[in-house]
Amino acid sequence: MTMVQEMNDRSTPKRPEDKLTIWETLRRRPEMVTLTILVVICVAVSIINPNFLQPGSLIDMGRASVVTGLFALGVFAILAAGGIDVSFTAIAALTMYSLTKFVITVAPDLPMAAIIAIAVVAGALLGAVNGLLVHGLRVPSLIVTIGTQYLFRGILLAFVGTVWLMELPPQMTAFGKAALYQFQGANGVTVDLPAYFLIFPVVVGLAWFLFDRTLMGRAIFATGGNPEVAARLGYGQRVVHVFVFAFAGALAGLAGIIHVSATRMANPFDLVGTEIEVIAAVVLGGARITGGTGSVLGTVAGVLLITVVSNTLVLVGIPSTWQRLVVGAFILLAAAFFVRRKQKPKQRKAE
Amino acid sequence: MSDGHFLELRGIHKRFGGVHALRGVDVTIDTGVAYHLLGENGCGKSTFIKIISGAHAPSEGEIILDGQAHNELSPIQSLEAGIETVYQDLSLLPNLSVVENVALGDQLVSGNGRLMRLLNRRRLRETAREAIRNVGLEPTAKLLGTMVGDLPLAIRQRVAIARAIAADARLVIMDEPTTSLTRHEVDALIELVGKLLERDVAVLFVTHKLEECYRIGGQAIIFRDGECISQGPIADYSRAELSHLMTGRELDTMRYRKGIPQAEEVLRVEGASSGAAFEDVAFSLKAGEVLGITGLSDSGRNEVALALAGHQPLSAGHFEISGAQVHLDSPADAIARGIGYVPEDRLSEGLFLQKSIYQNEVTLILDRLRGRGGIVDKRKGREAASKISEAMNLNTGNIDLPVSALSGGNQQRVLIGRWLSIEPKLLVLHGPTVGVDVGSKDTIYRAIQAMAERGIGLIIVSDDLPELLQNCNRILVMNRGRLVDELDAATTDENRIYQSMLGSANEAA
Repeated sequence: MTMVQEMNDRSTPKRPEDKLTIWETLRRRPEMVTLTILVVICVAVSIINPNFLQPGSLIDMGRASVVTGLFALGVFAILAAGGIDVSFTAIAALTMYSLTKFVITVAPDLPMAAIIAIAVVAGALLGAVNGLLVHGLRVPSLIVTIGTQYLFRGILLAFVGTVWLMELPPQMTAFGKAALYQFQGANGVTVDLPAYFLIFPVVVGLAWFLFDRTLMGRAIFATGGNPEVAARLGYGQRVVHVFVFAFAGALAGLAGIIHVSATRMANPFDLVGTEIEVIAAVVLGGARITGGTGSVLGTVAGVLLITVVSNTLVLVGIPSTWQRLVVGAFILLAAAFFVRRKQKPKQRKAE
Repeated sequence: MSDGHFLELRGIHKRFGGVHALRGVDVTIDTGVAYHLLGENGCGKSTFIKIISGAHAPSEGEIILDGQAHNELSPIQSLEAGIETVYQDLSLLPNLSVVENVALGDQLVSGNGRLMRLLNRRRLRETAREAIRNVGLEPTAKLLGTMVGDLPLAIRQRVAIARAIAADARLVIMDEPTTSLTRHEVDALIELVGKLLERDVAVLFVTHKLEECYRIGGQAIIFRDGECISQGPIADYSRAELSHLMTGRELDTMRYRKGIPQAEEVLRVEGASSGAAFEDVAFSLKAGEVLGITGLSDSGRNEVALALAGHQPLSAGHFEISGAQVHLDSPADAIARGIGYVPEDRLSEGLFLQKSIYQNEVTLILDRLRGRGGIVDKRKGREAASKISEAMNLNTGNIDLPVSALSGGNQQRVLIGRWLSIEPKLLVLHGPTVGVDVGSKDTIYRAIQAMAERGIGLIIVSDDLPELLQNCNRILVMNRGRLVDELDAATTDENRIYQSMLGSANEAA
């Protein structure tokens, strides 16, 4: 929570003549809109159906948001730098399946910490390939990553394997099961709060630090704002490109291994196909697809919003088949809002 | 350093493919002095500043910076030595705050361009506050936190200069800094330059505005066709000498043969207004006449051009084409009335770059080329396109070449030539030679004159005053949305037009 407060501090007016109007605040901090919608939905749903506040359903949603959230932070870094990535799910699938197979067949005694470290490094390397291609070929990152998505997935299915791995190495199963805390549900069922939940806030903290407190973070935004100017001002474009894609790759590798441990099996056909939902979450969080905007907090809010919408419709009696409809409507509304945000406040007053 | 100059360039050559942009330039720059880099468009000025700022590597020659010889500079090396360039686009990042735009460079450069470093937010704020105060702005938290993209241009320019101060600049290069400023803002900028000079910073202006050069004083560096042909105190040169040195021609011989206005009136504009952009504009144009419209960028001249092209409907008044009153509510209306419009930004607005010359030339007459079954008659189209390339003197025999393979001047000729296909009555050319080299300018001007001789009425909207003087019969001057002056090109000069452009801004100031 300290992070949220600190981020707010910067835009908090300190002197009376510095007061910002509500519109200006929203223009600067669009993630506040996302957060507000999120809170309103949560409050509304818990009034209609108090089951929403049961530990069981909260933990379900949390579980769903850890993997999406890690992916989304990676995508956010790339969007902020003015690119886009659709290959991260393929990176996650390739890393998680190959690594699980490797542990089962070659190194069954590998400690969990080492497994996670390898997943992160392998993901980063695959991501760096994207970055080098985008920089070297001067091709739009959408094209490059469509190519590498097929490539990575092709390598996985052609050379690594197509069989579901149902028997995970014990250390991975243990990691997936490890509980921080046990809840006694109302219906007598015990619900575990999984330990891997902790990874997400830690990564959120790291990402926030990276974007807000390091020169690299500013260089990423500079590149997204105007790549030519950024290069002219001395921000090394090659470093930025390789970094953001490697960052997204590392988070994808991490997300992949968590996904395997949580679902207790490694399915090589998993994950690929969920890219659009992740990108949608990031865009809902206020990042523009054209680059240079958005925030870590907004991305988290976007992820939670999508997760809550997908999981609570059933609780309030809306058929689950409506999920896509609602998410689609939200994305269009958000897009319309962010376009209007670009107009000057004066024009708005005149309307 | 005893004999030390801050920066010396010796025998600098730069070639881009077949184009020899710089041909052995020698220039010396010392701190605390103002320099004015003068020369026509395309003479190598911008290539020169890009070499100093590290954006381009010279093909040949030596750069001596603080006594150290280099073959080329990287952007970081140049920044580290304190060379800051304020390009026309100001090199600001619209999505970052004023603080970040002003002060990030300081931390980037002190870390040698390494990005994996902590950001010192406190130092960032302090550096920015100090620098912002130095350019005469009040560093309130609101201003410091504002995204630069949300600021007005004059403030943005100050932010760019504040960045140079924050980086402890020793040489600030300003590329046409006063182009879109009001008189008042220009005065403030000149005062700011004085402050920079006092701090022992060198200032290099790239400009066309001789009056401002004289006001600032210092050294003139004059370029022509990629060579530095003269350097010395600006006060030692008269205006006529400067123009002569820049163009290599006596002013009188620079004029092209004017069109001869015929009796028929092709266009009459009566009491035309469009929102706040322009008001009560009235003028007329005869067949075969070339009319110039100029003014500062916010004077309404651009909007008048757009209104004629059907892009900006009138709120009052009307247009008459050959005596008949017309409404131009869309570009299609304008084309149907025989009005052609060549936009300022030909790359984004006018040409299909990946398509061939042939395909670009026939876009306006596809309707007429439609044969049986609605299929375009290619043979007829190719004939028309060949005829146009001949008329426009496109020096390529191959009309299947993609337009992107042509030089800027040839692209512009393709764009202008396209309108010949509809036999227009009136052709509006918006900045016809922006970003075009000297040689191509000449051929474009010849094409303009040839069209005038065919009886087409031409309007050139431009802020390139020599261009207007060379090509037009009459020049209309706009200021704050109104037509303030009408001058006969044969008897007026740049100074007179310029006075008129700034006229009422003067009174207000």
